[in-house]
Amino acid sequence: MENIPLQTSGNIWKILVKVGDKVEEGQVLFIMEVMKMEVDHEASCSGVIQAIHINEGDEGLDADMIAITIEPA
Amino acid sequence: MFTVIKTGLETSVQDFPGRIGFRDQGFPPSGPMDSWSFRLANRLVGNEVGCAALECQYIGPTLAFEQDAVIAITGANMTPKIDGLAIPMWTSIFIKAGQELSLIFAKVGVRSYIAIAGGINSQPWLGSQSTFHKAGVGGIEGRALQKGQHIDWRSVELNNTLINRAVKSEALPDINNDKAISINVVYGPNEGWLDEAGKAKFLTEPWKLSSKSDRTGFRLEGPTLTFTDKAHNKSPEHGSEPSNIIDQGYPVGGINLAGETPIILVNDGPSMGGFINPFTVPGCEFWKLAQAKPGSQLYFKEITVQQAQRLGREQTEACNDDKITNQ
Repeated sequence: MENIPLQTSGNIWKILVKVGDKVEEGQVLFIMEVMKMEVDHEASCSGVIQAIHINEGDEGLDADMIAITIEPA
Repeated sequence: MFTVIKTGLETSVQDFPGRIGFRDQGFPPSGPMDSWSFRLANRLVGNEVGCAALECQYIGPTLAFEQDAVIAITGANMTPKIDGLAIPMWTSIFIKAGQELSLIFAKVGVRSYIAIAGGINSQPWLGSQSTFHKAGVGGIEGRALQKGQHIDWRSVELNNTLINRAVKSEALPDINNDKAISINVVYGPNEGWLDEAGKAKFLTEPWKLSSKSDRTGFRLEGPTLTFTDKAHNKSPEHGSEPSNIIDQGYPVGGINLAGETPIILVNDGPSMGGFINPFTVPGCEFWKLAQAKPGSQLYFKEITVQQAQRLGREQTEACNDDKITNQ
């Protein structure tokens, strides 16, 4: 399994995938709002979204929290 | 010289105390938000405390060094590594030509500082190398580091005395992941516009730090404040909101009541405007703001100007050379 961490402690602005979606390496999975900037978070590998651990609007989460889990293709 | 391989989220050149003396023309000081960690980084590599260095916010950069250098990393823990091997923070380190320094996201705190012996070499603007992003001035091309940029530092003789210098534990700022953070404030300049209940509420209730916060302002979410008659019964040129006032100069650190939303005006904040500032965060407390994560609960505690000045002096002393030890 490939885990995508939040990496920053901002606001979860948009989640662009759902469980079961096929994704390509480099595809944007979710966007965070940090310092009034939109910060894209990309898939580190191609595969299928196995779990989403965040919700739009979540704020104040730790940067090393796992946001999305991908089952590599 | 080093080359920027990855920029991080927003990495910029700053110096301390920044661009002083031009606030009347609208220019803020800029400079490092956590000047405590910044000054110690410079001390570790043998620089003057104000030398230009890098501020890394939330996610740090990856830099390929093309010359030997002595570096130190302080502030937030972004898991620094050289060629994939973890290196200690708060310690001066020798990095060889051809090696790569990489930082990832901040696991503890928010802002890291990378100092290089000799200091970053860039053209000062109005007497400072600090980057002021909003005006596009200072630093390197007036903006955050860009991928592929080559950045120089001032040459300095590297010798063994510069390496393995560490900060004594008593001089370290307590950077942690606490969700509740106490911030000292002083009254003024417009405390007379809040009534006693409003002031008491501000100083006792928690204030959530919004993710809509940056080097210009730290936006707070919390209770509604209440005002004195002065705020309601005033001449029309003050403006319609209770927190409106005839345009005035703003202090750095002013807690600006923009309508119902308090915004702490930090390093790149505006120099004037038409809202009241009932409280001000003194400079000695900025390191706490710099390292606070969005979503944190801030609790404000009133201190006197004299107490704030004492804390500031203590912080300056914590950055003195006698707080550095050779390991």
